[in-house]
Amino acid sequence: MLKYFDPQRDIDHGKDYGTPPVITVAAARGIDQQSRELVTVNIDGQEITVPAGTSILRAAALADINIPKLCATDSVEPFGSCRVCLVEIEGRKGFPASCTTPVEAGLVIRTQNEDIARLRKNVLELYISDHPLDCLTCPANGDCELQDVAGEVGLREVRYGFEGSSHLSAVKDTSNPYFDFDPAKCIVCSRCVRACAEVQGTFALTIEGRGFDSKVVAGQAQDFMSSDCVSCGACVQACPTATLIENTIIDEGQPEHRVVTTCAYCGVGCAFEAELKGDQIVRMSPHKGGEANRGHSCVKGRFAFGYATHSDRVTKPMIRQSRSDPWQQVSWDEAIEFAADKIRSIQETYGKDSVGGITSSRCTNEETYLVQKLVRAAFGNNNVDTCARVCHSPTGYGLKTTLGESAGTQSFDSIEKADVVMVIGANPTDAHPVFASRLKKRLRQGAKLIIADPRGIDLVKGPHVAAQAHLKLLPGTNVALVNAMAHVILAEGLHASGFIEARCEMPAFEAWKSFISEPRNSPEAMAEVTGIPAIQIRDAARMYATANNGAIYYGLGVTEHSQGSTMVMGIANLAMLTGNLGREGVGVNPLRGQNNVQGACDMGSFPHELPGYRHVSDDGVRKKFEAHWGVAIDAEPGLRIPNMLDAAVSGTFKGLYCQGEDIAQSDPDTRHVEAALGNLECLIVQDIFLNETAKYAHVFLPGASFLEKDGTFTNAERRVSPVRKVMAPLSGKADWEGTAALSNALGYEMNYNHPSEIMDEIAALTPTFSGITYQRLAAEGSIQWPCTKEQPNGTPTMHVDSFVRGKGYFAVTEYVATDEKVNKRFPFLLTTGRILSQYNVGAQTRRTANTDWHDRDLLEVHPHDAEDRGIVDGDLVQVKSRAGDTVLTARVTARVQPGVLYTTFHHPDSGANVVTTDNSDWATNCPEYKVTAVQISKVIDTSDWQRSHRQFSDTQLGLLKNAVEPV
Amino acid sequence: MSTRELDHLIKMINQIADNIAIGEDEEIAASKVSDHLNRFWARSMRAMIVAYANGEIVAQESNRLNPIAQRATAQIQITAAQP
Ligand code: SF4
Ligand code: SF4
Ligand code: SF4
Ligand code: FES
Repeated sequence: MLKYFDPQRDIDHGKDYGTPPVITVAAARGIDQQSRELVTVNIDGQEITVPAGTSILRAAALADINIPKLCATDSVEPFGSCRVCLVEIEGRKGFPASCTTPVEAGLVIRTQNEDIARLRKNVLELYISDHPLDCLTCPANGDCELQDVAGEVGLREVRYGFEGSSHLSAVKDTSNPYFDFDPAKCIVCSRCVRACAEVQGTFALTIEGRGFDSKVVAGQAQDFMSSDCVSCGACVQACPTATLIENTIIDEGQPEHRVVTTCAYCGVGCAFEAELKGDQIVRMSPHKGGEANRGHSCVKGRFAFGYATHSDRVTKPMIRQSRSDPWQQVSWDEAIEFAADKIRSIQETYGKDSVGGITSSRCTNEETYLVQKLVRAAFGNNNVDTCARVCHSPTGYGLKTTLGESAGTQSFDSIEKADVVMVIGANPTDAHPVFASRLKKRLRQGAKLIIADPRGIDLVKGPHVAAQAHLKLLPGTNVALVNAMAHVILAEGLHASGFIEARCEMPAFEAWKSFISEPRNSPEAMAEVTGIPAIQIRDAARMYATANNGAIYYGLGVTEHSQGSTMVMGIANLAMLTGNLGREGVGVNPLRGQNNVQGACDMGSFPHELPGYRHVSDDGVRKKFEAHWGVAIDAEPGLRIPNMLDAAVSGTFKGLYCQGEDIAQSDPDTRHVEAALGNLECLIVQDIFLNETAKYAHVFLPGASFLEKDGTFTNAERRVSPVRKVMAPLSGKADWEGTAALSNALGYEMNYNHPSEIMDEIAALTPTFSGITYQRLAAEGSIQWPCTKEQPNGTPTMHVDSFVRGKGYFAVTEYVATDEKVNKRFPFLLTTGRILSQYNVGAQTRRTANTDWHDRDLLEVHPHDAEDRGIVDGDLVQVKSRAGDTVLTARVTARVQPGVLYTTFHHPDSGANVVTTDNSDWATNCPEYKVTAVQISKVIDTSDWQRSHRQFSDTQLGLLKNAVEPV
Repeated sequence: MSTRELDHLIKMINQIADNIAIGEDEEIAASKVSDHLNRFWARSMRAMIVAYANGEIVAQESNRLNPIAQRATAQIQITAAQP
């Protein structure tokens, strides 16, 4: 029987095929997988056809002949050290290891005979003679490959005895909060070492010593916590024994069932298998079938899920008349009735437009869709916005204007074909770790890297990767840089004229060309502004423009500026100019912050756009929604978050329904936000914790974590992936049920039995989602929108033959300096960001052991500046801007440039956003988090704001603790 | 209305005028600005900035709008607030 195997389609992701598919290798070399040569071999009498380069081990496994193996696993390249997988090949001497021997046409292979059996048994006997025999009480029991292989080879006795030297007394390393390393159980297969190197790219592990003495060590023979280990867990997953094992498995035992779901942290959107016992999670394992992550994950997604069952969860609806009243626990019905009454009476008194809603990038598409529907249909206005306002709204504006669609252009897989990668204002190893690992893998294969960032991020120089160029620009000068690069490309004739003529609007291009060619945009002229020597800009521009495939990845360091939208357009210009759009390996790729930023934007969370990015003033679109929803929709754009807050301070905006967001911590100019929230007559907060915003609320609706509901998230590559309920909502209702109940109480009926019905409505009303259903998601795993009649299987790469807007549009991108300039009073520039172990406002990660890595926000100060001001590591430092001041602990480091400071905002007490100002992007009001002019000085105590915040917070927590229970 | 709300609107419209239509003549620039406001600003915000431009909130002589922004306010659509 001739069996042709197509690895794309028939793969069983639950199975270990021993070695990776050759496809990824082929893709990396730019070889089209279809055209790869196929080779037929005979294994145990079966003819098997596989792509050339496939190992015999994998070829056999594909035909369900499962050769025993120990040191091979399909997440890493084979190493050939255990010799368990040996086979016999007709006409060849000896017994080669099948994991390291590739198939060749015509080979006749036997995987089992007497000699092989004996040899395997001998190998196993040796291993077991230096292995504890506590299988019954071992945490890996039920999931141990050593045990399995001993069983497969029929090991019945160990002749060597257990006396003599062994590793059985080696000491356990329990330094990592999530997993243990028990070297007594190690078989030195080096799977962990290879996983750390190849999959994660951290190179924290090595094998030290030779022969019998060889052992696995972390870092420079340190414990795991002190080493470079970033706790991604790839080694734990790769380990065939109990040597590296999750503490949850040690404590609770093996899971009994698995459910595929999607990570609720960052915009990479990793697919996971939630592994459960009943409704209790014992492990989150990255799903090999997940197309965003391909079986990898980071410390947040894999380990930081304990917050979902943390004792701080508020699970009962609560109401109160005023902020100084204790909370009153009530039934859902009562809470909803109370909220609806308030909203109705506010609208009667102050008008229809006096209330609004905020949707969340952390909630599902379906929930977000419902909140905007509630605002538009039940509140009767368009005052709905989302936290994407404060992160990626310029991406929407900029990409829509230039390319025609408010989304990134590629799949994450595309990175495997990029030759030059430019990372602008993003810190992937911290904020998008799994993408960073995939990028580093490509860099190790030889792709070049350009980094534009004021700070020395980890990618600049890491183990086995280094940026060819690090453009250390001054915060706030992105546009000057991107203009200078375009200037060089045009001046040196490196642009793709053919692409531009065929694909772009020529009059706009000509206008842009004459603008960008002006001498004032040259790198020499811009050197002063950007702080980057002209030659560096020239070299970087040449490198990007002459690449076969040049790809740009960018983050909030691009968008969170007064010229965020301009910069996004500048990036799109650069990609069009060099023809780097419309195929794999290239593109313009926004790295989204929160898991569902893309989805929240897609679902019509902006006050001027209905789902699918269609303007509310478009009569045709509105009619369609009006017909489906049975109400009239206001044709006028509503208020954005900063406008709502302003109007609240003014007293014209009185009621807000806020789902899953914490604007009191995440939004800039905290004191202004607090004043606004304090002025509301009705604040309804739906969240899993009593977050900072909820401390100002009148109604608290308990939210459900991503484990407690069905739905979908859409990641940065437009991939719609299922989120699945693995436990009942602790509060009795998933968020979407709460929203529907509120709508019903307001007199606008919403009747859904399941989120799949909400998705059906989305698909019916939104052309780009028209082909998406829960049935298809279940069958296919995930789908990248647009998924339409023309693109029934979704769209991994956008703008292939033409741009969504037709012809690409070169927008003139004049550099306009921000108002936020350093001066005598405020001589430093403060910029803000994120770190690996914490996520956004930290509400989730702060409630996990991730705080072992980051228990407070630090202020990074350059050694020169520190010396100038007599600041040493660990000092309390006041940071003061024109908006406010706060006190942070200093960390003196040369990662930042002189004159630049850096901090994170994961902890509410830090008050980083007390300092950030009301400056914002000109087009979208996205706040300028990345540039604040400040002064610093050494102090001995916290700030007034910090003290009053602590007091307020304590009072509110007291009111929560003393919540009055229903009688 | 807080002065802060008005301050923000003034700052925003000036910023839009600075960024949206560089190198274009004033008339085109002004229409791009007003178009942007019509598309992205809520009616209450548009009404307030027009009132300001017309000297109905503070005296004309302390007007802080830049010329393009001032000119744009003439083309901003004003619609009545919802009841
Ligand atoms: S957890 Fe990740 S980073 Fe740490 S040693 Fe294992 S593979 Fe390397
Ligand atoms: S720790 Fe596990 S994966 Fe690493 S060498 Fe030992 S047995 Fe193999
Ligand atoms: S936080 Fe991001 S990178 Fe980490 S597991 Fe979740 S989706 Fe993946
Ligand atoms: S699995 Fe092939 S040598 Fe170990």
